[in-house]
Amino acid sequence: MRTERAREGRRTLGDPALLGVLAVLWLLLALFVLYPLAELLVRAFSDDGRFTLEPLLSSLADAGHRAAFVNSLVLATTVGVLGTALGLLFALTATRSGLSRHWLTALDAAALLPLVSPPFTTSIAIIFSFGPKGFISHHLLGLDNVTAYGFWSTALAETLTYFPIAYLTLRPILSAIDPNLEEMAFSLGGSRWRIFRTVTMPLCVPGFANAFLLLFAASLADFATPLILAGNSFAVLPTQAYLQITGMFDFKGGAVLSLMLLVPAIGVYLAQRRWVGRRTYVTVTGKVGQRSRSRAVSPVAAAGLAAASVAVAAVILYFYALLLYASLVVAFGANETFTLRHYHVIFTEGLPAIRDTLVIALIGMPLGGLYGVLVGWLIARRRFPGRQAMEVVSMINYALPGTIVGIAYLMAFNDPPLALTGGVMIIVACYVFRYSPTGIRATVALLQQIDRSIEEASASLGAGTVQTFRRVTLPLIAPAFFAGLGVVFIRSMTAISATIFLVSLSWTLITVRILENMTELALGPAAAFSVFVIVVVFAVVACLSAVLRRLRTPTAGAAAQSLLGG
Amino acid sequence: MAAIELSGVSKRFDHTVKGEVYAVRDVSLSVAEGELLTLLGPSGCGKSTTLRMIAGFEEPDAGRISIGGTDVTRVLPNRRGIGFVFQNYALFPHLTIFENVAYGLRVQGKGEAEIGRAVAEVLSLVGLASYERQQPHQLSGGEQQRVALARAVVFQPRVLLFDEPLSNLDAKLRVEMREEIRALQKRIGITTVYVTHDQEEAMAISDRIAVMDRGQVVQQGTAQDLYYRPASEFVARFIGRANLVAARVRDADAVEIADGLVVRLATGRAAGTPATLVIRPEMIGLDPGDGPGRVTHRTFLGEKTDYVVELGGITLQVAATDTYRRPPIDVGQKVSLRFHPEGIHVL
Repeated sequence: MRTERAREGRRTLGDPALLGVLAVLWLLLALFVLYPLAELLVRAFSDDGRFTLEPLLSSLADAGHRAAFVNSLVLATTVGVLGTALGLLFALTATRSGLSRHWLTALDAAALLPLVSPPFTTSIAIIFSFGPKGFISHHLLGLDNVTAYGFWSTALAETLTYFPIAYLTLRPILSAIDPNLEEMAFSLGGSRWRIFRTVTMPLCVPGFANAFLLLFAASLADFATPLILAGNSFAVLPTQAYLQITGMFDFKGGAVLSLMLLVPAIGVYLAQRRWVGRRTYVTVTGKVGQRSRSRAVSPVAAAGLAAASVAVAAVILYFYALLLYASLVVAFGANETFTLRHYHVIFTEGLPAIRDTLVIALIGMPLGGLYGVLVGWLIARRRFPGRQAMEVVSMINYALPGTIVGIAYLMAFNDPPLALTGGVMIIVACYVFRYSPTGIRATVALLQQIDRSIEEASASLGAGTVQTFRRVTLPLIAPAFFAGLGVVFIRSMTAISATIFLVSLSWTLITVRILENMTELALGPAAAFSVFVIVVVFAVVACLSAVLRRLRTPTAGAAAQSLLGG
Repeated sequence: MAAIELSGVSKRFDHTVKGEVYAVRDVSLSVAEGELLTLLGPSGCGKSTTLRMIAGFEEPDAGRISIGGTDVTRVLPNRRGIGFVFQNYALFPHLTIFENVAYGLRVQGKGEAEIGRAVAEVLSLVGLASYERQQPHQLSGGEQQRVALARAVVFQPRVLLFDEPLSNLDAKLRVEMREEIRALQKRIGITTVYVTHDQEEAMAISDRIAVMDRGQVVQQGTAQDLYYRPASEFVARFIGRANLVAARVRDADAVEIADGLVVRLATGRAAGTPATLVIRPEMIGLDPGDGPGRVTHRTFLGEKTDYVVELGGITLQVAATDTYRRPPIDVGQKVSLRFHPEGIHVL
């Protein structure tokens, strides 16, 4: 189809409007994706304009840095395994336990809570529970001199924060396995456990691999949790890179440390392409019809699954209740008199951070939504030179750990002619290019479901390209637009790993204020800020879900998923 | 003046293995005003590509297409005044049935009152008067295809194009729908090009059929022309069932089909020249007795009985429709065969 593609490419390039859009997009991608990354690499590997591996070698020679590298991998592996197991537990409960719909909705809500929370939520709750004055360690068990810091508390917090990703990955796979398949095996006389081992689980293997890799990458990139919980004894790469830059003003060292993070990140990417890819064994027939409750899980096992999931959900809800409680008392663990003081603090002293965060989120939201839909549409429906390159480049900032992106932006935009640091646009740009890929992928996925003949039908009925886009394509990809908006907003409210390098005296963020409160041991305001963010994010998610439901297009459901999955 | 005229139209594709291949090669066709022409052929013969070029979804590499006397070869699909009915219906999933049908009128900027009237009229024409507020996914396949048909005709296009519109429906509904489509087309008298791979459907619905094979039109004509006077072995085999018998002209009014087996037939060809006879199964008569043939298979199918008869090394298919008044002939029975000269076509 080469001549065909070339001809379509020529047709596209003959369209001045499209050509203009492409030029602008490439300019932006070059500026905000390629240039910072190039700048980071150049800084890390050059000295006085000469190429050198010296900073890398000296970093590798540093026992502390090597330990941080190993610690990062150990933590990510632990979180990957534990999180996949928890995700499987929830997915099995959702699809096989036969729990009533109300219970499942409640479980879903509890499981998805961590995905839309600011980054320190679980960490704060763990300190409140297991710290020196912790609710469990001190009040219930009467222990003193315990420490809530270190490897296991970090792993626990990250597992509870990220296991919903595994849940969202595994649930559709488990629910798409035709119950007939399990029942057929059952009718052949296999025991339930045997069927589970030999039929159900093998069908999920690609899902396990995918869930593990997603969790591994999330843990690897997590900056906030280890910063609070890991303590000095368990250093990991993102926090080391941050401390290198903010504590020692060693930009080159920070750059090299963040690049050490790139190695496992690329490994994960390659592993995903190699082993997961599009390989799903799921048997989608579209003809399941009346889904009988799978009898492949025995009543005892079903009860066990349900009980375990409810227990995990209870832990999560307990953490959030603790957070709410701590935000409403004078000093948790010491003076538990009811007060609104902390909320007063965040709405007076903390007001600039709230205002800045909302302004940034509200600027980034429409830009990110539009950018996502536009790039997604171009990738899925237009043929033009460099299309695949655009697809890859637009994903880079999303795939890279936030620490790398933050340090790269800091280096690229700190000096003239592009001295953008300190301003608001740099933070907005960071969010748009880092979090819009969810919108891009949602748009591409929706357009792949929409047969081209629908657009041809519109043309045959007399509508031109613009009219077809407005009357048919746009309404059908509107769900992706709103999902893209939602993700950019949620992340603008909750992200910290990249933007902590970009905040300034004039522009700051709620998440950064929470971190400051934590380091000043002002846990009350930190809890109040967290509650505020959770409430706002939930309100926005609820509004967007209502919008998506009202759109009533057949594609809305899938888009609502990506709202949380992103 | 022809309503649709294709002259020397070609379309090439790059094939990863075979290199450049012609999907459509030098096709010339003309469709008269109000006529229904069917493009018939096996999958991959280029019929859909031809139709999509008439619609403007594909651009020909060579040749000229005109609609209503105007050259539209380089005109965008939305400026051609065509109604297109897709195999998968291609209804707009986000619009109600009313809005789906109204789409073309809205694009034309028609007034609300006129749109309401036209949509109601066409929906009752296809028997879906009460469906206006439904969503496409609430309708059955047949109903969806009716909506697609209503949507394609409501804005009074100059020509109507169908791309295998019935292949997603079950057999019974297919027969019903093809009759409805034909009735509607005759009623509004719209020039139509219809693509199908189903020869029965083509024969049932068309004024004229163009048979396509490997990108080219191999024969055009009425269903009778194609059935009784196929121009090639391909057409003979593709339209209906046929016995193709290699023969040799013996003299002015006889051909020899096997050693010593002579059929009376005036071919008008010189003695000794080879000829291929096309003999339809229902045009052979069988008489039990001590003839040269022998029945090897028999299948009772209700309205007819199919026999396989061996005759001097040739295998012939015979369809007997008179089995209600004659006892069936047993397998192994010797038979004599009757051929009607007017039922034999010579290639």
